Amino acid sequence: MSRVTLARRGLLLGALGLGLAPGTARAFGTAGSFLPRSLSVGGRRLQGLRDTAPSRWAWELMRRTSAPARLSQVSVAADSRALFAEPFVVWSGADDPAPLQPEELRHLTRYLKLGGMLVVDDAEPSRGAFGRGARRELARLLPSSAPLTLPSTHVLYKTYYILDRPVGRVLGEPRLEAIVRGGQAQVLLLQHDLLGALARTAAGGWALEVEPGGARQRELAVRLAVNIAMYLLCSDYKDDQVHAPWLMRRRAQQR
Amino acid sequence: MSSELSFAEELGGVLGWAAALLLLLSAVVLAFELRRHLRHRALVALTALLAWLTLAGVVLRPSRVTTRGSVLGPQVVVLVDRSRRMLLRDGEQTRDEGARRAVAALRERYASARLNVLGFDEGAPRPWTEQPSPRRAGSDALGALEGVASLTTGRPDLIVLVSDGRLTRPAPSPRLEELRAQLGALGIQGHTVATTRVTPKDASVRAVRAAGAAVAHQPLQLVVEVGCAGGLDCDALPVTVRELRAAGPPEVLATGVATLEDGVGRVELSVTLERAGARVLEVALRAPGGDEIPDNDARLLTFSVARERVRLLHVAGRPTYDVRALRRWLKTDDSVDLVAFFILRTEEDDTATDDDSELALIPFPVDELFTQHLPSFDAVVLQDIDAVRYKLSQYLPALARYVSSGGGLILVGGPAAFAGGGYAGSGLDEVLPVHIPTGGASFDVNGFLPTLTDAGRSAPVLSALRELAKEGLPVLPGANLLGGPRPGAIVLWEHPRLRAGEQPMPVLALSEAGDGRSIALGVDGTHLLGFSEWAAESGGRAFGALWDGLLGWLMRDPRFEPARIELESECIAGEPTRLRVTRLAQQRGPLKLVLERLGAEPAPRTFEQPTEEGSVVVDVGALEAGGYTARASIGEAPAARVDFACERGGEAWSDSRPDPERLGQLARALGGVAVGLGGIGELPLPPATTVAAERHVTPWAPAWAWATAAAVLAGLHWLARRRAGLA
Repeated sequence: MSRVTLARRGLLLGALGLGLAPGTARAFGTAGSFLPRSLSVGGRRLQGLRDTAPSRWAWELMRRTSAPARLSQVSVAADSRALFAEPFVVWSGADDPAPLQPEELRHLTRYLKLGGMLVVDDAEPSRGAFGRGARRELARLLPSSAPLTLPSTHVLYKTYYILDRPVGRVLGEPRLEAIVRGGQAQVLLLQHDLLGALARTAAGGWALEVEPGGARQRELAVRLAVNIAMYLLCSDYKDDQVHAPWLMRRRAQQR
Repeated sequence: MSSELSFAEELGGVLGWAAALLLLLSAVVLAFELRRHLRHRALVALTALLAWLTLAGVVLRPSRVTTRGSVLGPQVVVLVDRSRRMLLRDGEQTRDEGARRAVAALRERYASARLNVLGFDEGAPRPWTEQPSPRRAGSDALGALEGVASLTTGRPDLIVLVSDGRLTRPAPSPRLEELRAQLGALGIQGHTVATTRVTPKDASVRAVRAAGAAVAHQPLQLVVEVGCAGGLDCDALPVTVRELRAAGPPEVLATGVATLEDGVGRVELSVTLERAGARVLEVALRAPGGDEIPDNDARLLTFSVARERVRLLHVAGRPTYDVRALRRWLKTDDSVDLVAFFILRTEEDDTATDDDSELALIPFPVDELFTQHLPSFDAVVLQDIDAVRYKLSQYLPALARYVSSGGGLILVGGPAAFAGGGYAGSGLDEVLPVHIPTGGASFDVNGFLPTLTDAGRSAPVLSALRELAKEGLPVLPGANLLGGPRPGAIVLWEHPRLRAGEQPMPVLALSEAGDGRSIALGVDGTHLLGFSEWAAESGGRAFGALWDGLLGWLMRDPRFEPARIELESECIAGEPTRLRVTRLAQQRGPLKLVLERLGAEPAPRTFEQPTEEGSVVVDVGALEAGGYTARASIGEAPAARVDFACERGGEAWSDSRPDPERLGQLARALGGVAVGLGGIGELPLPPATTVAAERHVTPWAPAWAWATAAAVLAGLHWLARRRAGLA
């Protein structure tokens, strides 16, 4: 039997080589691959060291799992129609964000209604200015849905890796908060600077040191990023009954 | 001619009695007078008597009435059992032939009677004819008797019921008191004639009862009652339940042995029907040698299998937005019982740990899924999964058999689907709607707008999506390279540029495959119907509209069928069979109905009706006993299907024993006698009726003569009284 197939990575790299930039044109096999886009609100784009983090996120997902991903750096404005092109976007920052403009509110509301996922990542959780400002704007966006602390049994802790707590560039709070709609954690609120843990330098090293430190913390941060991506792609797949006995045994082994 | 005395007819009883009383009173007064006066006593008495008599003649005016008339024979109704059971053979002749002999003998016996011969089965009695005509299963003697009693032509003097006695009503061993109470109100005498009293040597399936409704995947308890009669030697009878299928031989669902006592036995069998819809089961016993009626050794029954939930297996080769969209949609449907397996890690992936306990991954239980559990699913969705890489290839022939035996399959595109996943020549492609090409590229990366075919424009499966996508579909990011459609497949979407041979390449196609259905969707971008700039305009509802249609069609949801097919009446082998096809969902176009025998080789028969609208009755003629599947297509839309059973005798032949005792009870309740064919000559004759046609009234004397005589005699009596010294 003679057939032609492309390896997954080859396919993605080929797509990139052809200049098929996500959000503009997509090709067979790549259209459904994971693309973490950064959200720009009020004209503020993700800048600095962290702008490499989304592509690293995609790369880590592709390296570690079977999920296809796109390595592009894509920023999407909250008030643009391009927001609806993909179901995943990360809103990261350190300072208090500007109030959402009516068009931004309208687009973000529509985005969430369609089923898109929004990750809010505080780059400086010790100050908490961005986190507080983002929550304020989320309250305007989703006035009837307050953030909840996800229980430690939530599927986000086991979508690929078995995790005990969220970790980013900083250790942060040992809990995840989310706005849950329709049974899905649709808006994830991180106080761990996840993008900071994933950011790379042009030379190929890690851009920011993790606090308190250690390779294990960065590894756990990457694993959290992988789990978030898997949650986006598979939703509560790991909560299916068929997985339950296996995961209970794994948990028992870890303890 | 007859003659009789008559008195003044206009006088009522009261006036007559008053006259008699007056005369009596006069006699008493006269007797009292004569006791006191002894002279001329005889003369006074004689004149008084004559005067009274002539006076009575004046009042009563006696007449002689002469009548002429004719004698009418009694009205006799013969009720002949016309049920299908009468077609059973008793040796060289059928019971029906016995009934014809009985009718001939009754015509002779009641030659002087006004005879009316009616046939009865389940409804009102109808004129009996010796010509062959369709039969019904039941024989309701009580209903027929009540129907005859209420005939507008008058209540008959006598009813003679001709049957073998195995009646639907009255029930076996009826109580005489109850029958009398029921039939006594009719006020008609009746006799019965048994066409046979000989029980044939016969083992039969007497009844099949199901405990509750049939639900897919759930065990259904069947109680099978068997019987053995006529001296046949059977202490135990093996019973087998099989499901008749379009593709391949029947599948044995259960076997058991019924132990018989006093000629009857029963066995409880548990069967599990995996597919919903109309399913044909054969319940058969293995009869011992000498069985004279083999036609009732098996029953063919159509079970309408309901589905509580759709049990769906979703297997994906890698998690993508397309997988995400489908899973999220399936999870929102409470009627879907979803079992999912996604390949999350391949051998090439570096998980950055050697400790598997840090991973929430389980092995892909491919062997368990595709051998042990496969029949328990209603449908399987294979989404962009490489069959070779994930060792699925060896199970694809089994998956093809699963589809042929009634399962549903959707192959969803992606780089590792169809040719890219090693499905060409795998065996599974035999049940797909499209050919899978070998060699060359396996997919095309260029975006395109799928083109709706004629079938796509009319098929109910896409109607909801058509409503939402009136302005056109979003650009889909490439497609799997597919071959042309297989025979019988329906293509709904085509590629606008790529071709499969001489025709446009199919992108979305459906087909029936044996008892199952399959769908080929050669794209991996339907998630764009749910989440994209295009989807934002319709609130993302188009994705659900597409998949609701695809899954619904796969599960034979009536909403997505072009027509409903029903039998006009029970299908009996050898009798005309008619199917009513009702167009649904505003379907228009000519009808094509294809009739195929389940599991048999004969070529399907096709019936075409040019009528464009409304419901159509298709006469498919007389069928042989067996299971059948009828597929009706309206125009270009995918066909609707129904399975049904056609039996030789059906329930009517399930118990071949005659029941002369029941006929005896009926005769006793009707105040008549029960006889066999040989006893018809001894049946008593009811009395004839005379009908007057002419009447003459001749008075003894004219009224004036009576009056004159009465006056003269009264005068004489007065003179006699004067001479006797009375006042």
